[in-house]
Amino acid sequence: MILPTSEQKTQWEEEGYLVFENAIQGEDLKRLQNAFDYWADACKEEWLDRVEAGDAVATFYDIPNPLEKDPIFIDIIDYPSYYGALMAFTDHDLILLGPQVRTVAPWPVSYTGWHPDVGQSNPLHIKVQIYVNDVEPGGGEFGFVPGSHKPGAGPYTRPMRQESMTGHKTFPGKAGTAIMFNSCGWHVSMDNHSDTPRKSIILIYEKRTPGRIGPEQFASISEYCQTPERRKLFSLDG
Amino acid sequence: MPRIDAHLHVFTKASAEFPREISDVWPAEREEPVEKLLGEMEKHQIDQAVLVQMAGASIENHRYLLRCLKEYPNRFLGIGLVPEGHPNPVEHMAALTDDTGIIGFRFSTFGGPRDIFAKMDVREFAAYPIWECAAERDYVLWLYPNAINAHLLPYLIQEFPQVRIVLNHLAVCPGAGKFSWDEFGRPQVQVTGYNLFMHTTYRLARFENVNVHLSGQYAFSKEEFPYKDLAGWHHGLLGGFGAKRLMWATDFPWILEEPGYGKLTTVIEELLPNLSEAELADIMGGNAKRILRFPDL
Repeated sequence: MILPTSEQKTQWEEEGYLVFENAIQGEDLKRLQNAFDYWADACKEEWLDRVEAGDAVATFYDIPNPLEKDPIFIDIIDYPSYYGALMAFTDHDLILLGPQVRTVAPWPVSYTGWHPDVGQSNPLHIKVQIYVNDVEPGGGEFGFVPGSHKPGAGPYTRPMRQESMTGHKTFPGKAGTAIMFNSCGWHVSMDNHSDTPRKSIILIYEKRTPGRIGPEQFASISEYCQTPERRKLFSLDG
Repeated sequence: MPRIDAHLHVFTKASAEFPREISDVWPAEREEPVEKLLGEMEKHQIDQAVLVQMAGASIENHRYLLRCLKEYPNRFLGIGLVPEGHPNPVEHMAALTDDTGIIGFRFSTFGGPRDIFAKMDVREFAAYPIWECAAERDYVLWLYPNAINAHLLPYLIQEFPQVRIVLNHLAVCPGAGKFSWDEFGRPQVQVTGYNLFMHTTYRLARFENVNVHLSGQYAFSKEEFPYKDLAGWHHGLLGGFGAKRLMWATDFPWILEEPGYGKLTTVIEELLPNLSEAELADIMGGNAKRILRFPDL
């Protein structure tokens, strides 16, 4: 397990995010890209039908139940390059809430505005966004307001335009980059004015609280969770 | 400041003088005439209204709407319809807007790619000539997009920033097969618990020419008046579009029996209780007067 350096710890505390360049690379990145592309293509028509029926969002789609579709989607949950930091920041008491294997279409406006996901009263809530393709500036890259995760920060209001957010930083990056952030912080997907969809995976974690995730949630992948650490991460023992 | 009901319908019995389409909900003998509307407006201190065509899109089907607009030119403005697939929509729109009081037209489709990932050439959209004409002639576009059409809107809006847009009924985009009528004769639109529209139509707040109706709550809510389960939607629209781009409306006559016209004149105060007096006055009529250019009374 690769634990965070003191500099990383300080940045996490002060700014609320960490960037892991080349977090996934080589054969693992190829496996991830192949699985992503295969399943995104396989699921697309059904998603469009659901959009037409008013049952799904029109501006992006997620591969349903990705953990059941390819083991690479399980392997990235506790991937060594960032897993140690996740464990360290949650006092080694981490659970997975779920993955979003997401394709976002280029569109004149981003599909979401600036927002935090949770309030300060929530147990530590962390997301890791992994770019599956290269994400250029103006290509729907992740945006974050450093320090906005801290109690007493702000107040922040959602601006009409993404780029008008006070104090924000944007994170274009190469495929395989992982961005970890405290979900109390204000974040967004910047506008994608390119002609390339943004392919990314958003892994959602939390510091464990009793009963947050039941053992049935990830029971379908229990065969891939033989170690005590994985069983705990996936809440398989309650 | 006037109080303006920014979206409703009137119709009379089907006749040779006023031909219209008929259905189970609006059979030939049913009428919800303008005089009945004026009675409700009088009773609840509503000064003006937008009459939206229904029960047919042909020129002849518009006769009753045109008569109402002619008879009460200071009280009403009109929104017309264009037949789906009309070979010359520009001519149709011109015929209905020659100093008639019709200020724009209502649409739910735009004729572009179904797939948001497809290459978008707005000039190839079937609706392009309609929007081009709206830009030239200053028509208002009254939009209630089908769910599969919502992603096309920003391309058209970017192309025609001068066109005034009014998104109907909380900017909802109904899904195919999700429309029905309830026991009170009201439209019902089944929507998901998660608000999908915050990722599509709410995002159009970026464009200053886009406005939204706060109306149709009865069709989407799982609760009775005052539809508190939709308070979050109202707050989301207020946060995104601001109080200067929202317009209250009742969708008369569907609401006459339940909850009643009078109750709906208070729905904004119920769902957005923290509005200032000025903001409330804007939403209840000031914005419609300014954006739609209602005449002074």
